[in-house]
Amino acid sequence: MSTLHHLFVEPFTFEFMQRGLLSAVLLSLSGGLLGSILVLRRLALMGDALAHSLLPGVALAYLLFGANLVALFLGGLFAGLLTTAGSALLSRLTRVKEDAAFGSLFVVFFATGIALVSAMKTRIDFMHFLFGNILAVSPADLWLASAACVVTLGTFAVFHRSILLETFDPVFHRATGGRGAVTHVALLCLTVVNLVAALQAMGVVLALGLFLLPAVTAYLWCDRIGQLLATAVGVALAGSVLGILLSYHVNLASGASIVLTLGAMFFLSAIASPHYGIVARLRAERREARSVLHTAD
Amino acid sequence: MDHAAHNILRFRDVTVRYGATTALEHVTVSIPCGSLTAIVGPNGAGKSTLLRSILGWHPLETGEIRIGDTHTEHLLPRLAYLPQRQTIDWDFPITVRGVVEQGRYPALRWYQRMGSEDQNRVSRALAELDISELADRQIRMLSGGQQQRVFLARALAQGADIFLLDEPFAGLDLHATDELAHILHAWEAQGRTVLAVVHDLALARAHFRQAVLLNRQLIASGPIEAALTPANIDAAYRGGRCVHDDPLRLTRTAHFPE
Repeated sequence: MSTLHHLFVEPFTFEFMQRGLLSAVLLSLSGGLLGSILVLRRLALMGDALAHSLLPGVALAYLLFGANLVALFLGGLFAGLLTTAGSALLSRLTRVKEDAAFGSLFVVFFATGIALVSAMKTRIDFMHFLFGNILAVSPADLWLASAACVVTLGTFAVFHRSILLETFDPVFHRATGGRGAVTHVALLCLTVVNLVAALQAMGVVLALGLFLLPAVTAYLWCDRIGQLLATAVGVALAGSVLGILLSYHVNLASGASIVLTLGAMFFLSAIASPHYGIVARLRAERREARSVLHTAD
Repeated sequence: MDHAAHNILRFRDVTVRYGATTALEHVTVSIPCGSLTAIVGPNGAGKSTLLRSILGWHPLETGEIRIGDTHTEHLLPRLAYLPQRQTIDWDFPITVRGVVEQGRYPALRWYQRMGSEDQNRVSRALAELDISELADRQIRMLSGGQQQRVFLARALAQGADIFLLDEPFAGLDLHATDELAHILHAWEAQGRTVLAVVHDLALARAHFRQAVLLNRQLIASGPIEAALTPANIDAAYRGGRCVHDDPLRLTRTAHFPE
């Protein structure tokens, strides 16, 4: 009992741990929902590239206005939209295909961001921007995370049917009078909002891990969209809390511990998921081979 | 057709352009109410464009498309569009019932939940297409014909009376093709209007009553045998850009030496 207390309860008597926990809960709620939609829309890699491309906007906003949340958000949004629109434009006007244009632009943006951040006074800022530290979130960061969470949950509550239709069957959505472009841009903005909110906790490099890994893990278990969303949120919660504890006890970087914990859950699911895991697949194939042999007899 | 059928959909002088390319050129044609009509023609003939322009997706350079006195894009609830099968992600975490429920979504405001009337319509659509027992299955766990029926059920649940099908026979095996043709005939008997893009002339001949033969311009329309005469087909497919659309090739294989 006392070891359990030592492992799970005692750490959260510290205020920085409580803040970290609250931050994890808020980011898990919105990240789980958003990540699921990104995975279903096959935007996982694009989301990751987008996360990297936010850096110059956020860094510039930070240099000019300090830790002003509105400025950070607008800076990130601007950089993100510039990358998206820029790659669309490049692919239309030149021979370069859209994925290559996007890949090229985001890496240039990321490098610009790193250059800007490295011009800052302290090394601590540099590490924070790239990898974050969930155990060092400030009350202001928590406000931003709360706002992002409320906006995301609200959007999903109001537009869940449009989001589902646009994700599952955009053609049908459009044929019934839906506005696909609006839904798409709204999801993009939500992604930027949540990435900026997760910046302090996870950094630009790891933030998307908190969104995507729970979603792909849930994808291996669920056959209904509602279940998928709930499971993704649950996995994100469990993974981030366990990750924080791991970081506290073993003294590892917090973002990395969270992503590694979530990664472990994903790989376990990929192996053991009853319908869509590797073991289930191999078993089904063996059963099939055996039945073919039987009918051949 | 010996009686003068009431025309439900009327295209008058419809021209659609994408940049420099012309997809449809001054097409004037009427679709009789309750008819089972195939849109046929070579690749790039504007078949899908014709279907989608009904939904108001393409700005019309000239002309108009009407249901009665109203432009079609104002009557979206009466129109059900069935997308091509290959555009669907069959691994999507959704059940058969979940897909059919989507047919009710356009009628719901954002704060409304599915009511009992909506649920009844969904159940009726599932029952009519004989997939009630499959309602809780994930959509990958179905045969090709069953998958097609799920989307037909969604169209029914929508409460539409005009059905726009984009290549409904693509990728279906022989059994599923017969099944779909059977369903479409039943719908025709119930007075539903079906307009389908059909790539295969033989399929169109076998299962449809009316045809619209296109090659950017209207080549012919009317009862299927009258519209798909060898002369008309030759006119539509001559200079076609794709070898497998050349109807002559079918003739050659038929006379292949044994």
